[in-house]
Order: sequence, then C-alpha cells, then structure tokens
Amino acid sequence: MKKIAKDRLPELLQKMAEAGKVYAPVNKGGKTNFSVWQPGDAADLTTLRSAVPAKSVLFPQSETYLRFAQQGKKLSIETVGGEADEYVLFGVRACDAKSFALLDKVFLSEPVDQFYASRRELGTVVAVACREPEDACFCRAFDIAADAPAGADVCVWDTGDDLFWLVQTEKGERLTARLAGLLEDAGAADDAALPALQAQIRAQLDELPLAALVAEKKHQALKQLFDDEQWLACSESCLGCGTCTYVCPTCHCYDIQDYDTGTGTERSRCWDSCMFSDFTQMAHGNPRKTQKERFRQRFMHKLVYYPNNYNEIACVGCGRCLEACPVNMNIVKVMKKIGGEAR
Amino acid sequence: MEKIAAAVRERAKRALATGEVDRVFAWKRGEFWYDVTPAVFETADETDELLWDSFCVANLSKYLTGAVRQGFKVGVFVKGCDALAFNQLLQDNRISRENVRLFGLPCPGMVDPEKLKKAKRYRGVRAVARAGDVLALQGKHGEQQVEAPAYLYDKCLVCRHPNPVVYDELLAEPQPVRTPDSDRFALVNELEAMSAEEKFLFWQEQFDKCIRCNACRNICPACSCEKCIFDNGESGVAAKANADSCEEQFFHLIRAYHVAGRCVDCGECSRVCPAGIPLHLLNRKIIKDIQAIYGDYEAGLDPNVPAPLATYRLDDADPFDGHQKGGKK
Repeated sequence: MKKIAKDRLPELLQKMAEAGKVYAPVNKGGKTNFSVWQPGDAADLTTLRSAVPAKSVLFPQSETYLRFAQQGKKLSIETVGGEADEYVLFGVRACDAKSFALLDKVFLSEPVDQFYASRRELGTVVAVACREPEDACFCRAFDIAADAPAGADVCVWDTGDDLFWLVQTEKGERLTARLAGLLEDAGAADDAALPALQAQIRAQLDELPLAALVAEKKHQALKQLFDDEQWLACSESCLGCGTCTYVCPTCHCYDIQDYDTGTGTERSRCWDSCMFSDFTQMAHGNPRKTQKERFRQRFMHKLVYYPNNYNEIACVGCGRCLEACPVNMNIVKVMKKIGGEAR
Repeated sequence: MEKIAAAVRERAKRALATGEVDRVFAWKRGEFWYDVTPAVFETADETDELLWDSFCVANLSKYLTGAVRQGFKVGVFVKGCDALAFNQLLQDNRISRENVRLFGLPCPGMVDPEKLKKAKRYRGVRAVARAGDVLALQGKHGEQQVEAPAYLYDKCLVCRHPNPVVYDELLAEPQPVRTPDSDRFALVNELEAMSAEEKFLFWQEQFDKCIRCNACRNICPACSCEKCIFDNGESGVAAKANADSCEEQFFHLIRAYHVAGRCVDCGECSRVCPAGIPLHLLNRKIIKDIQAIYGDYEAGLDPNVPAPLATYRLDDADPFDGHQKGGKK
C-alpha cells in the first residue's frame, strides 16, 4: 500500500493532470460534480455523492457523435464523440464504481457502443471509500462494500490526515508508477490502521436506517408484476420530472436527435427519461400514456427487465433518488410494495 | 405538533369514512425520519399512515389538477404556501373550488434535513419530535434538543403566510410570521447591486449546473400548462439535450417570465432543484418589480383580485418611464 498526506492532494492531481485530463469531484456554485480538474480546483472528498453521478464521465448527458455536410452531390460523414486520450477519473464512490459494471453489460454487449467503450478503455478509475455513509445509503443491499470499493483501478481511503492508496489493476499500477515521486510506501502502522478504518465504516453501515433492506430479484411472473395494482398507488405522487433518472448512476436510456447547424447537420444523443411524456413517443403515438405507465417502466427496468437480462438488479443503492426526488417517492418504497413482499 | 398530527389523521379518517370526500391528499410516512411522501388516501383505514410533521414540505395543491378533472370530491391539507398555490390554480382555472374540501394547517416552518446534515446534527437520528420551535432529535443514543429556526428551509424563514389564506376549516392555532416581508428580498437586492457582467457570471454558473430534469417546472403551481412548450418536439429547442448553456438560460428565463405575476413565491422550485440553483430569486426579482410598478399585489392571496400583468388599465404605470431601465450601465 502507498499513501500521501491529504494536504498534498492538489500536487497529486496536478501530477496526474500533466499526463491527461483528470475528472474529479469539484464544488461549483454550491454543488459537487465530476468535472475536468483545473489547477486551483479543490477536489471535494467530503461530499458523499456528487449531484450528478460519475456515469456522466463515461456516458455524458449529451454528446454529438456524427457530423454530416453536403457539398454538391457529395455527402461527408464525420464521426466525432468518444474519448481519444487517456484520462483519470478520481474520487468515485463504491456505488458509482459498481454502476460502471452494470452499464458495461449494456454498452459493451454487441453491438458495442464505441463512444462508451473508448471512455471505459482510456479511463483509469480511482475510487474512494466512504468514511461517513448517510441515511439514504443502501449499497449494502447489493453487496457493495463502501469500505472497500470494487471495480476500480485504485482504491483510496481518507484517514483524515492521509490518503491510503491501494492498487487494484494493471492500469492502476501504471498510474501509480507515474506518481512515484509523490506517493510514499505505507508503513506497518498504516497497514494495521486500514482494517480498523474499514471496520469503523462497516459499523456505520450497520446503523443506517435501510441497513436491513433486502434487494432480491423478483420471483413472480413478469405479467403478474406488470399488472400489480400497487403501481397506481406508488405513481400517484410522481410529478413526472426526470430527477430520479438523471441522478441515477444506472439509468442509461438515451434519445437521438439531428440538428440543422446551418452549415450541416449534427447527430447527437442525450440522456432520456422514462418519466417524460415524450419518452417512446412514436409516429403512432405513445404506448405509455399516463405517469403510471412511465413510472412502472422505470422500476420494471431496474427491478425486473434488467435482472431478467443480466441477473442483477439495476440499482446500486447510492441513495441519490431518495435525496433528490421532490416528493420522496423512490426505489426503496417501490421495492417493498411491488410483488407484495413487504420487508 | 404530534397533537395536531393526531387531529389531522382523525379529520382525514372522518372525511373518508362519512363519504364527505372520495379522496384525501396528504402526507405519508416513509422509510426514515425525513422521508415523507405526498399520497392519496382513499379509505379511512389507510389514514393510519398519514403524517403531519416537520418534513411535510411538499405542496399538495398541484395534485388537485388531475383529481378535480376526474370529478372526484377531494380533501386536501394546505399549509400557508400551499393555500397560495391553491388560489393561484383557481385563478388560472385549473381547478374548481366546489369539489374541494380544504383543511388548513398553520405551519411552523419545515425542517431542511440538509441543514441538519451540514450542522453535523444528522448522524444517528431516528425521529424528530417538535414542540413549538424546539426540535427533539431522537436517536439510538438518546435525545438532543435544538432550536428549529436554525434548521428551517430558507424559504420558511422568510415565510409571510404561515397560515393558510384560504380554507374550509383550520385544524390548529395560527402561527406567527417570523420576519418582515422586506427580508425576502435581501438576496434580490444583492443581485441588483451587481454589474451586468457580474449578474451574467452569477447566473451562468448557476444555470451551468442545470440537468434539465424539469423538477422546477413540474412542482410549480403556476406551471400548469397541459403541454409545455419544452415538451414539444416540434419546437426546435433541444429541451432534453442539455447541449449548450444557452438553452438552460432560455429555459429558466422563459419559465420565470411565464409565471411572472402568477408565482406565489412558495420556493418549491429552489427546494426541489437537484442542482441547487436558486431559481426563486428570478421570480422574486419579478415580484419585487411588480410591487414597485403596480403597487401591492400578491399572487395567490385572493383569486378575485385582478392580476396586474393580466389587466390593462389606462392609469397603469409605464415601466419604461421612471422605473429603472435595463441594459448595461
């Protein structure tokens, strides 16, 4: 294990930034989000969850990916979008790191999404353990270890004074080698301190209000779940805004639109939200006419369709939707209601 | 507050049991102490889960637009700000008065869990009881008492109508107003004092955070269009794309102007914004200007008073004559 004094974090980020872009959680205008770190930016490791999840780095909210231009009879098509250079994604939490694995199953299955794939391949992910999980957190229901993030290239623990740095993969090894002048070897006392810190985090997780939540794949028949009468009751408070979908690290639906730029056409995609009235709007109309159907779509996708395809629930328990929903309707309430197994 | 909560539950139960109303809109207990959801109650039995506590911040009035249209007789609980919203929806012809039974709830101000979190009062809390302005944070390791005003939503600290301005029956004693009305314009005054450049940079940084979730629009009691222009695929705007900062600025400014004169300053837009944009300041600036130009008018106070921006009078002030003009100085 390596370590660095916490007050030297700016130097560490500076060193990383010399080799390419570094995305880090930075507070701007009162909210912390992942953005390209600039010298002078203070990386925020205190805020537990970024307002917008770290998926925005791998799968940006909007992205232009094709440009067309017509000159005489010749049509030129240029592929833009994706990532061309190596970069570092610093400060991802265990829940967000797990969300990458869930997104991988969608975007890296055939046909592979080349823009997502390029960002996945070129990025080195540095995850940070959660020192102070909050009441809306329920990552443990999905076997996610907030004290020992999985799926990252490097794991970091904030002890208060130091950052412990533990390499997880070859990519992480390469990044660590680049930072050799800054990271020092951890001593025996540090090696002993880490399990203690992790135990302390786990003790806090035990105390959370949703600690006992069990998230299992629904076993009822698809049709039975689809027709569950609870959908109406659950959806009645839903305002139909897209907050839950946009703050969700696992939501991955997108819309594609062409724009006339005046000199050509751009094709871009942007996050879509099943909560919106124009979601799946087609020439013939919309199969999801009321908020009940839209609401059901979101949670059937998380709790039934995705698990049917990939054998895992498409939720990581980050708690963002619990915190951000204007009316506090959320996936935990739905999980307990639908399928009739209140826990 | 617990005593009033029992009365609230009892009243809802009676209204449903006697058939006085078909449905009751109220708040429901959630998964933990600050997790409260608006809910529809259809039978007297369900009302055991009905809640009135320091976290019942969500405005229920807007839900009436759907229920009233469906022809239901509904009962709804309204705080001061919710009552203003109710009146505005009436004035905008979005709901009708006759099918609604209004249960008024004088509101002591709602508690912002974020403020408790920032003050490090949050960890281990399991329940929050309240007596007047004293909050009892009850946790596994005992109880801690704190003064409520330090933890109320900003919007509640400058609330000018804690007591419903319209109701059929009031379920508790009226609450005092905490601050003079002028206080709510303090931040607007600060913004006005900025140069045009500073104002632009301020709002640019704020709008840059916008994720186009439409929470501000959907919670807003003045945003009651059947179909919003920003939901119209033919409009030519990249409503969902969040493609460039220009679009965000247009969205928020168009919305502010569309609700001008109808915004009841309930503050819900800023409360629900997941990006923390102080949207209410746009509306408050407009409210301040309307008051300066057309005299005292408060949207939602009385649906029978003509709204200045929707009424033309020969002796109307000319905002371009005498009032401060825009543009760079």
